[in-house]
Amino acid sequence: MSGISTHARAVADVIDGRIVASVELATTPERVFQALASREIVDWWVNPGVFDTREWTGDVRVGGRWRASGIARGQPYVLEGEFIEVDPPRRLVQTWHRAGAPGTPSTVTYLLEPIDGGTRLTVHHQDIAAPDQRSNVGAGWRSSFDRLSEILSVHHT
Amino acid sequence: MSRIEAKTDAFRAIADPTRRAILDRLRAGPANAGTLAADFRTSRPAVSRHLRVLREARLVVDTQIGRERLYVVNPVPLQNVAGWLEGYRAFWQASLTKLKRNLEAK
Repeated sequence: MSGISTHARAVADVIDGRIVASVELATTPERVFQALASREIVDWWVNPGVFDTREWTGDVRVGGRWRASGIARGQPYVLEGEFIEVDPPRRLVQTWHRAGAPGTPSTVTYLLEPIDGGTRLTVHHQDIAAPDQRSNVGAGWRSSFDRLSEILSVHHT
Repeated sequence: MSRIEAKTDAFRAIADPTRRAILDRLRAGPANAGTLAADFRTSRPAVSRHLRVLREARLVVDTQIGRERLYVVNPVPLQNVAGWLEGYRAFWQASLTKLKRNLEAK
């Protein structure tokens, strides 16, 4: 397992509104894929003290829906979306949207590559800050972004 | 303009791929509208329209140097966008760290 790096890395591309994150895992792509596409998500979609996933259900096939719910700063929330590509154990693409929020969904792409001693998992979370230009960029949109920002941000109090 | 309006305009301004490309180009150094039009093989009026949106969102500022008007990236509104993205970045950083701990636990 000497080739496996010890830390996850996540960087933001401000211009593209995209997060790219990666981690090397000392296990097989099949095992990693299972953790991405099952209720196991409640054990790792977390940001301690900020964002806590309690439930996850999903119909893991192209066009199938998923739904995650939990508590963020004492408030319940629901995230949901649709599976766009399901190609185990290599690739999983899904849309990602806060239930009831206006605006278009973002997209999460998981790429799994076998490496010496395990699997490299890369996550692209894109179209995060690209609201529909044709829609009215009004108060609802703004407050939705601010709420999401509060839910996800570690810096808000 | 309030802080929230400036932030919303910055999001809207960078939602357009050509404007993102113009910003990327200006991050490499100042340029005038004619140079940008040539770089992006588009008309001067089209570039001027994009520059106006970017200027209104305060993503670029222009300075007159002699007979030339140069456009420069203003990083401040991008920091608002970066602040918004930081929550997502932190989420994935924390989640992948937890995933690694779970999958490698013996």
